[in-house]
This record gives sequence, structure tokens and C-alpha cells, in this order.
Amino acid sequence: MSELIQIGSPNQRPRQPRPEDLKLQFSEQGVKELEALLTHYPTKKACILPALWLAQREYDGYLSGDAIAEVAHRLERSYAEVEGVATFYSLYNTAHKPGLHKIEICTCLCCHINGAWNLRDRLVEKLGIHHGETTEDGLFTLEEVECLNSCDRAPCMQVGSQYYGPLTEESLDDLIETLRNTKESTVVQYSNDIVQVQLRKGEA
Amino acid sequence: MAEYKLLLEHTNDPLFKTLAGYKSKGGYTALPKALEMERSAIIDSVKAAGLRGRGGAGAPAALKWGGMPKEKKTEHYLICNADEGEPGTFKDKQLLETCPFELVEGMTIAGYAVQGDVGYVYIRGEYMDGAKALRNALDEAYANNLLGKNILGTGFNFDIQIHMGAGSYECGEETALMSSLMGERGMPRLKFPHAPFPVISGVFDKPTLIHNVESYCNAPYIVNNGAEWFASLGASTKNSRGTKIFSVSGHVNKPGNYEIEFGTPLRELLELAGGVRGGKLKACIPGGSSVPVILAADVERAIIGYEEMGEVKSMVGSGGCMFFNEHTDMVKFAWRSALFYANESCGKCTPCREGTKWMVQILERICKGGGQPGDLDLLKQVANQIDGRSFCPLGDAAAWPVLAALRVFPEEFEYYIENGVSMVTSKPSLVGVP
Ligand SMILES: Cc1cc2nc3c(=O)[nH]c(=O)nc-3n(C[C@H](O)[C@H](O)[C@H](O)COP(=O)(O)O)c2cc1C
Ligand code: SF4
Ligand code: FES
Repeated sequence: MSELIQIGSPNQRPRQPRPEDLKLQFSEQGVKELEALLTHYPTKKACILPALWLAQREYDGYLSGDAIAEVAHRLERSYAEVEGVATFYSLYNTAHKPGLHKIEICTCLCCHINGAWNLRDRLVEKLGIHHGETTEDGLFTLEEVECLNSCDRAPCMQVGSQYYGPLTEESLDDLIETLRNTKESTVVQYSNDIVQVQLRKGEA
Repeated sequence: MAEYKLLLEHTNDPLFKTLAGYKSKGGYTALPKALEMERSAIIDSVKAAGLRGRGGAGAPAALKWGGMPKEKKTEHYLICNADEGEPGTFKDKQLLETCPFELVEGMTIAGYAVQGDVGYVYIRGEYMDGAKALRNALDEAYANNLLGKNILGTGFNFDIQIHMGAGSYECGEETALMSSLMGERGMPRLKFPHAPFPVISGVFDKPTLIHNVESYCNAPYIVNNGAEWFASLGASTKNSRGTKIFSVSGHVNKPGNYEIEFGTPLRELLELAGGVRGGKLKACIPGGSSVPVILAADVERAIIGYEEMGEVKSMVGSGGCMFFNEHTDMVKFAWRSALFYANESCGKCTPCREGTKWMVQILERICKGGGQPGDLDLLKQVANQIDGRSFCPLGDAAAWPVLAALRVFPEEFEYYIENGVSMVTSKPSLVGVP
């Protein structure tokens, strides 16, 4: 791939854990939720995406080698298959452990013509990180993303389940400050939200 | 003609997303009616209404409904494509967030008509608010015997499940979506010869009916008000019936979703969105980033309709309508558009995987002021080698905007290459690239 393509960060995946090192870490609740999700599909394989969301919550926002191995084990699929699926999708954190808050700034068409690049530059300057990187204090990960399909609110960004826009430099600064003081991980919260909306009321 | 609110009529009513609120506006009067009809009569009605898919291609809906096997030998699946990813489009988002019951009722009617067992709503991962609203709607529907076993005592069983995507534009393409739903990477599958259409063999290799959110939402209105009434909307057009929701964005004063009747002039859509902001109108992309750009003069004469938009060499697409003012650098815009497709290419086939990246590199060189004499021919050549040669339509969709920009704004490209700066901003202007 060309070095000019911005989106998509270098992906240095951990190695597959040896079978004897497999430690199952899903919480009891997580196991119950997975069982409920499995009833939604005719095959176990179809549950890979929902199970990866679940794992992303259970493993602190990061689909590590252990997380992939656990999903593969529980769904009776191979490690390579699950890893292959996980790395295809941009909302799964597979490159490294993300910060508490993943800031996804849209630079796509409509945001592009509405000043997104200035905001992007401001974030780079404020946080001292570039696309795909995480601050040393583990608070923020920055991602430049394609259209969030909220172009009526351009320029906009997403943090966890929440959309923000139209942004100005001031509202961006305020938001960063608020997030700095938010100790609960919006990455984990978001993964949990995704698990919950897929479950019927009273299902798990 | 102005706004014609059918699906979005009650979008501003916060109670419309509750069962009680939905029912108070006439919701769930269509489902009992449909459940008493012959299945074939519902399909005939969708056909007479002239409903076409709202996901982008505009295929006749009845073709799919009628194509599902009449004799049921195995499970039948329904899919709602709520993976809205086309830049400029945000109508399905609003439908999910504010009118989730329209989708649930519409999908249940369709489920009955084609003897469906389970419907999956594939929602893009980012749409949390929409997913939550739909979750509540589904839970209420289950609690009130509008979903699940023996719906309204008719013996019809139907489930709807939410499946969340995880960030991939390509998963909006229907066969890639099915791959993703089956737990695979979001890559498209061959439709022919193994399975000519999803209605024969779709998700889990079973007959599958797949539609966009907006398409399903129309079903209750067709059942309730009759096919003839529905077909009277847009009757001035050749073959586009009903209403269409357009997501209007870009340089306009009031960006947002506007629902209009087919046959409305495009210029009225611009008026609804409060007109152009920050200067004169320069160009417009009427139906999402994949459709060809048109000039201001064409905006003046374009009529919204699937065939009618062809007269200005563009398309209705997904309804993501972006307007640009005179200060927009179209070369840079073409670069950003090409970058989108390069980033979202799934990598399965060579023309798209390699070609999209080539287009980005050439456009980048031009935007940085280093354009070379043969660049435009090279760009055209690369785009033409993607168009029609890629495995799925994403490749074509990547080539069209670039080809259209070259056709509509040749002087801007030539100026950039000759002078190393933009004709509009007088600067070489590429931010965001190392
Ligand atoms: C690259 C690509 C992306 C697409 N994205 C979407 C999408 O986000 N939403 C959608 O409804 N259809 C999308 N489509 C169209 C679908 O493949 C399919 O035609 C549509 O879901 C059928 O529904 P309809 O008959 O209601 O239009 C996309 C197609 C392609 C080629
Ligand atoms: S055109 Fe080819 S590479 Fe591009 S998205 Fe489709 S299948 Fe993938
Ligand atoms: S371009 Fe940024 S939300 Fe659509």
C-alpha cells in the first residue's frame, strides 16, 4: 500500500497465544450475554462480530491476542479466522491498546469543506499525537475517520457513542477538557452499548 | 411543490418513537390489514405502487418481493440495510432515531408477504442513538404481540434482530453485508452463477429479501393508503413514485433531511435547505459521493427522479445531496473523494484495490503543486480501467466522481497542473498529508 494513504494504521498484531496459555477471562455476565447472542443466529460463526464487541468490552477496549483467542475458543472457530475478521473492521481496536477516549474526527467530504482539517491540526497540536496514536498518559487515541454520516453537523466527530458537531475551536477545546476529567473509558462504554442494543429486553 | 412529508411527518414528535405515540398517529393500522390480505395481494400492491429501492440503485421492490420462493421449503430471511455509509447521507439515521416503528411495522409486513422467519437490521456501528431507539421499539413490539410468536393471533411468527456493524463502508453493498452478517470480513460475494439473486440464495444460503431502511418504511403507507394513492405521488416523472428523503449538506444555510415528492425540481431542495452559504452556487452532488457532480446551471434544470436525473448526467443515488459554493476547490475535493474510496476498498479485486490508490497519488501530486503534463490523461486512464472492471460497484463508484470532475471542471485541473496552485484559492493546498 502507498505510504500516502492516511487512514489505516500500522498493525503490529501480537502472536497467537499457545493453547496451554489460553485463559478464559469473560465475566459471568459476559458469558450469559454471549449465550443469548448465539440464539440470534443459525450458526456460531455468525456470532463473531457480536462476540468481538463483547470481547472489546471485557478486555478493556482492546482486542489483544488473548481476546481473539477467547472468542475463537468460545465460538469454535480458528484463531486466524477471528483475527482476520477483527482486523477488517475499523471500530475494533486491534492495533494497540487505545486510550480511555478514542477521538474520531471526520475529515471526509462535507467536513473537509467545512474546516475539519483545522480542527484535526488543533487536536494534533493539543494532544501531541497523530492519526492512530495514543497519548503516553493513556487518555486519548486520535483517529481520522471517513464520513460519520452526520454531515448536517459538519465538522463533526465521535467519541464513544456520542456525536459532537458542528464543532468550533472553542467547543473542541471544551470537549477535550471534559474528556480529560472523564475517568470512565468511553471506549469500553461504547462496546458495552453495542452489546446491549443487540440483546432483547430480559434476554441476559 | 415543496416539502412532502410522508415518512418524516412526525419526526419532530418525541413520542412518535414510542408505541403509544406511533399508534396515536395511525401506526400499526397497516399490519393487521396486511395480515388479513393474501400474500400475493400485498406484493401486487407494492408493484402497482411502483416502489423502488431507496438504497441507491433504485431497483423495483416488487421484483425482490415477488422473487422470493412461493413454496416455502426452508427458512426465509429479511435484511434491513441500515449500514448507511455513503458520504453525505444521513436519512436512515434520522428514520431510526425518530421513526423506528415505521421500520418495524414495514419489515413485519414484508416478512409476512414473503413468509420470512427472521429479519436482521444491520446497523452501522456508529449509529448508537438510532440503534437504541430501534431497540426500544422492538422491545415494545415484542411486549405487545406485534413481533415474536403468533403475531396478533394470526399464527404468523416473525423475529427481528439487531446486528451491529463494526466500521466498513463496503458492508453497505448487499453481498458484503451478508458476508459480514455471517461472521466474515466484509467482502462481496459472487451472485452469479451460484446464486443469481439473494432471493434465491442469500444470507446463510437461504432466500433473502434485502432493502434499505427507507424502502421498508414505505410499506405501511402503501398498505394503508393504497397503491394507487402512492403511485400518484411523483406521477409527473417517468418511473419514480412516492417520496424521497434527501440529506442536504455542504455549503447550505440549513443542512438537514428534507422529504420531497419525486418530480420536484432540484433547485427547490436547495431552497428548502435555506440556499447557498458563503457565495454563489458552484456545483452539486445530488445523490451521495458516488454520483457524478453537476454544475450550478444543471441544478437549475434538474428534476428529481431516477430517470430524470440522467438528463443532467447524474443520479438520485442514496439521496446524499451536497451543494458547493464558488470558493470550493474541486481538484482538492476530487482528491478527498478518491481518498475515501481508496480507504474503503475491501481489497478483494485488483482494479479497485490498486486503481483507487493510484488515483489518490496522482491527485495528491497535482494538489501539492507537482502535477505533470500527462497527469490528466493518466488519471482518466486509471479511472476508466476501474470503471466496469471491478468486482463490485464500489470500484465504479470510485471512478465516477473523478471522471465527472474531470469532465465538468477540466480548466481547474489544467490550471493546477500548469501553475502549481489552485485556480480557486491561488495556493497549492493539500493539508493532512505528510
Ligand atoms: C459500495 C456500496 C455501498 C452501499 N451502501 C449502502 C448503504 O449504506 N445503505 C443501503 O441501503 N444500500 C447501500 N448500497 C446498496 C445495496 O447494495 C443494496 O442495493 C440495497 O441495500 C438494496 O436495498 P433497496 O432495494 O431498498 O435499495 C451500497 C452499495 C454499494 C455498492
Ligand atoms: S470493487 Fe473490488 S476491491 Fe473494491 S470494494 Fe468491491 S470487491 Fe472490494
Ligand atoms: S463528511 Fe463528516 S460527517 Fe459526513
